[in-house]
Amino acid sequence: MLHGKEDKHSNSFSKEVANQLGGETVNFCYQCGTCASSCPVAKVTERFNPREVLRQLLLGERREVLFGDAIWLCCSCYNCQERCPQKVEIADVFYALRNLAIKEGKMPNIYFEFSAGLTNEGRIVPISKFLEKKRTEIGLPPLKPAGVEAVRKILSATGFDKLSRKKEESS
Amino acid sequence: MEKAKVGVFLADGGKGIAEFLDFKGLTAYCKQVSGVTQVSQATEFWRGEGLKKLVDAVKQKKIDRVVVAENLPKLAEVNIAKAVEQAGLNPYLVEVIDLRDHCAMPHRDVPKEAAEKAKVMLLAAIERAKLLEPIDKLEFPAIKSVLVIGGGIAGMQTAEDLADLGFKVQLVEKTPFLGGLAARAGRFFPTNDCAICIESPASDIKTITHTSRKCVYRSGFSEIPNLGILTNSRVVKVEGVPGNYKATIEKKPRYVDELKCTRCGLCTTVCPVEIPDEYNARLKTRKAIYMNIPDVYPPTYVIDETSCKFHKCEKCVEVCPTGAIELDQKTQHTTLNVGSIIAATGFQEYDPRVIKEYHYGEYPDVITNLELARMIDGFGPTNGTVSRPSNHEPAKRIVFIQCVGSRDRRWNPWCSSICCMISLKNAMLIKEADPSADVTICYIDIRTTGREHEYYYEKAREMGIKFVKGRPTEIAHDPDGNVLVVDVEDAILRKLLELEADLVVLATAMVPAEGTQELAKTLGVELGEDGFFKEYNAKLRPTETKLRGIFLCGGATFPKDAPTTSLQAHSAAMKAAKFLNTGKIVKDQRTAIVNEEYCGDCEFCPVTCPFNAISLVSKEKDHFVAQVSDLQCEGCGICVGTCPVNAIELRHMRPNQMAAQMKALMSINGTSKPLVLAICCSECGHTAVDSSGMAMMQYPANVRIMKVPCTGILRVQQFLEAFKAGAQAVMVVGCKSDGCHYEVGSPKTQKKVALAKILLKEFGIEPERLEMFNFVYIEGDKFAEAARTMTERVERLGSIQLATTSQGETN
Amino acid sequence: MTSYALFLGCTIPARQPHYEISARKSLTKLGIELVDLENMTCCAPPPLQSVDLETSLSIAAYNICLAEEADLNIITLCTGCFESLSIANALLKEKKELRKRVNETLSVVGKEFRGSKEVKHYLQVLRDDLGLGRLKDSITKDLSDLKAATFYGCHSLRPSSLLRFDDPEAPRIFDDLVETIGAKSIAYRHKLRCCGGLLRGYADDVALAIARDKIVNTTKAGADCIVTLCPFCFLTLDLGQVLMKSTFHEEYKMPVLHYSELLSLGLGIDPKELALEFHKISLEKVLTKIK
Repeated sequence: MLHGKEDKHSNSFSKEVANQLGGETVNFCYQCGTCASSCPVAKVTERFNPREVLRQLLLGERREVLFGDAIWLCCSCYNCQERCPQKVEIADVFYALRNLAIKEGKMPNIYFEFSAGLTNEGRIVPISKFLEKKRTEIGLPPLKPAGVEAVRKILSATGFDKLSRKKEESS
Repeated sequence: MEKAKVGVFLADGGKGIAEFLDFKGLTAYCKQVSGVTQVSQATEFWRGEGLKKLVDAVKQKKIDRVVVAENLPKLAEVNIAKAVEQAGLNPYLVEVIDLRDHCAMPHRDVPKEAAEKAKVMLLAAIERAKLLEPIDKLEFPAIKSVLVIGGGIAGMQTAEDLADLGFKVQLVEKTPFLGGLAARAGRFFPTNDCAICIESPASDIKTITHTSRKCVYRSGFSEIPNLGILTNSRVVKVEGVPGNYKATIEKKPRYVDELKCTRCGLCTTVCPVEIPDEYNARLKTRKAIYMNIPDVYPPTYVIDETSCKFHKCEKCVEVCPTGAIELDQKTQHTTLNVGSIIAATGFQEYDPRVIKEYHYGEYPDVITNLELARMIDGFGPTNGTVSRPSNHEPAKRIVFIQCVGSRDRRWNPWCSSICCMISLKNAMLIKEADPSADVTICYIDIRTTGREHEYYYEKAREMGIKFVKGRPTEIAHDPDGNVLVVDVEDAILRKLLELEADLVVLATAMVPAEGTQELAKTLGVELGEDGFFKEYNAKLRPTETKLRGIFLCGGATFPKDAPTTSLQAHSAAMKAAKFLNTGKIVKDQRTAIVNEEYCGDCEFCPVTCPFNAISLVSKEKDHFVAQVSDLQCEGCGICVGTCPVNAIELRHMRPNQMAAQMKALMSINGTSKPLVLAICCSECGHTAVDSSGMAMMQYPANVRIMKVPCTGILRVQQFLEAFKAGAQAVMVVGCKSDGCHYEVGSPKTQKKVALAKILLKEFGIEPERLEMFNFVYIEGDKFAEAARTMTERVERLGSIQLATTSQGETN
Repeated sequence: MTSYALFLGCTIPARQPHYEISARKSLTKLGIELVDLENMTCCAPPPLQSVDLETSLSIAAYNICLAEEADLNIITLCTGCFESLSIANALLKEKKELRKRVNETLSVVGKEFRGSKEVKHYLQVLRDDLGLGRLKDSITKDLSDLKAATFYGCHSLRPSSLLRFDDPEAPRIFDDLVETIGAKSIAYRHKLRCCGGLLRGYADDVALAIARDKIVNTTKAGADCIVTLCPFCFLTLDLGQVLMKSTFHEEYKMPVLHYSELLSLGLGIDPKELALEFHKISLEKVLTKIK
């Protein structure tokens, strides 16, 4: 171990995740692999294996996990969380990891788009003029306005708006 | 009452302590304390010449209270008490203190202060001795008869040991036949002997051969003198006290006369009722009149009353050649008077139906290890062939899944200990019978920790059994081809597999046997969080419970293998034998006593007592008072600390005795250091002080030690009294919260200390002056550090200003 | 007549007016009043939870507060919204510290989460408020010829400890509701597996591979249609088949429709009023089987 260099395989990363909302149960994992065989994504691609991500996490491989591709491939189906014999909240751990990655500046484009939609219109999918017209045509009542102001205030209070802005600056 | 005559005996340990303490000075000091009639000094007093001198003083009636300053006081106490008793003095009028490890050794650096402390230690002992009262030894009957609950491997072995020793034993088994879970298991690992054979206890009665490895039926077990066996019976009520219990047994009718039945089996040929055979895991059917397997004890058929048609049918009655069937038999109740009870009720397989992703109960080819064992067993439903329940064809591809419902925080968080070995056993038996079978075991960890167990695992691999490190997420059924598909990740290869199987075997968790909760309530024994019986102490008393006369053995305390079960069975028998051996229980009366005049019937103490030793008895109409059972009371004093009106006291730790000690310990302080009183429990707290001295750790001599049985005896006002007596700080030293030797004392005291802190604040005293510490014996260093810390703390805070002055002068 | 605050979310009003119109028509016809509240926003589903979980819970809580103020329980059409709002409701009721922090955030918009209202999916409302008996009686068409593959999706069932919608391993509610209106609910492989929808936008190829599995299995099982509870699932399976054609060169023509659409058809509502042109895969097969 070199002086001054952070010990790669310490437990500081798992502690960090355990202190993050959603990541509290991560230390219970005993690598049984139930999550991997429950995962619909792992069934179709080698790019993702939830047990493997947790292994890296618990071993302390912070860079690999937060700046890798894997954590964005969880489809949040919660099958792993249902089946986990140690009640590890695996899908929630992935939220925690994504939250941490985004705080560090790594935000895939699609999430930037969603966040922008939320800030601009209070909805992650914007509603086109074409659709608004169609609604009236088929007999739907006009849409009540969304609480955009309220959303913006909330996003500002939690610092969410700064997260989006980070990506804007680096893009 | 006559004035007490206290003899003080100072053991100087040769050069050991005399080097650090001025014994001449101590002798002179003791001589001038009122009530002391003799002071002697020698190398040691607990044996040899010294003890003789002490005993002579007693015999000559020069003294009637004994104070000894001795090393290794816990050893010394026992010897001195015995000798003193033989000399005609009540052995509980002896007080032993440790000037070596509580004074000379930890205060070597401050000899002047050490000398002062030695004086107050002696003074406290003398003052306490003056107030000690003689304590009687009581005798209670110990009936030399034992009730053993559970007729499996553990129950049979323990019953046998006790019967051989001459105790009258009644073995009670809830099912119609002996044998328990082990008999259904087929074979025992790691030797693969057949379970029924090895199960029969190694009898000292010479039956057929010396080693008597014969099945229950042929071992002569039932003919052992002093042994009674009741099957189809349960214990429904237990009353009384250790040594003298009254147990009510409910015996369900067999409907067949054991003396007349010849096991010809004609009844089964005519019985019209056919139901799934639970014993054989429903892999075949049985009739309403049945025997589990040909080799059973008692060798008599039994009728299952829930499925029999009784007088509407009577076909069996007609056909029985000896007229053994009696359809009008009734449930009987018997009351036994026994001295001791042993619970050997074992465990059962967890029902994996709730783990829906495995579809047990839905897919017939998903079975448990026990069901597989029944198939492999030659006596079993398929005559030893492993076949698929769905279509009865031989099973060629078998997948085992380990940890089903074990190590699972959704169901049972524990590891069930034996399932790895059981699966290895069954897998190897399958491979042995059919080498072409394809066997895979899916596991999280393989646990083969016992002797010879690792070779078992080796052999399994050698035989070509495959191992996949991965816990399957689910089992699917492909109707196309009637094949089961096990969805599992091979975590080592990082590869998702879909294993095809004819048969999937679930190694399910082991959980307490059916009826455990009710029996625990009936006996008054506690269950652990996992639902198994709680042993008194897993290391030192693995087969005892908190209740004196009730013992445990076998799987009832946790799943275990045959060798360990055997060991525990012998252990429980020995414990019960020791308990009942002399026909009486001798117990001293160092117990709690209720002042009935004060008792307000608030019911706090019966609820608090960890040993169920206090009950409420009716005195007048509608007025109850607490009453302590001297037999069951362990003298911890937690009741004393709980009573809101001081209506209960410990005979050997009365409030006046404690007050006198406190006052004495605070009475001399010539140094500038503020006095700190450390009240220590006799279990962990006081021994932590011992160990700090033994290791010669240094702490200030202004820390004065007082011993109580359990910190639970302390009442909040006593902390305040300590301050009034001159303490500038109080340390309460007890066991760790989850390790209190009296279970609830230490955690309760923590709450009292928290409350006392609030009160201190109200009185204008800094709450930091009172602190509770939790140590274990070997944490002497932590005690020394705590003593130093508290001293520094109160030096910083300065002295307390109290309205009333205390006896001793403080700076 | 029960009233609920209708929570539409984003995807339905933005992309699936057919879902909205079928829901409004069928539920209203059955006597369930749907109240449109002002100021509702996105529910803050997984894509936003991925950016910041606590903010998302705050936004969900904000919407629940609107319903609490109107003294109405919430009814959702999208199981995604059902999940986001339900977990926020459950977690905030359970965890004191979290609730404190979220209420601090909500104070900037003058709201306070009280935990006084429930979040329901419309299937639950149909089963519990209306009852299967009355539902059956309201059906005027004969659907007995229709073999439906019910697709629960993920977020109606899981995480089950917070949603308590149905047994996550052996759910019945959706199948019961389909069979009550006369259609047959068939078994098929990997019925409870995810559609992969949430990976769209990041890993479209992976999402498509997962969706394909579902189309293949339902086809193999002989389904006439797939019935969904979520606009994401619908999109993935309906539009997904168009992409499967161009990517894998496989054509399945498996109709996909929401339960409310099937319900509307069963109640006798004219298909022309249901904006079925928004489906990419034609519902011809389904319509011919309804008499």
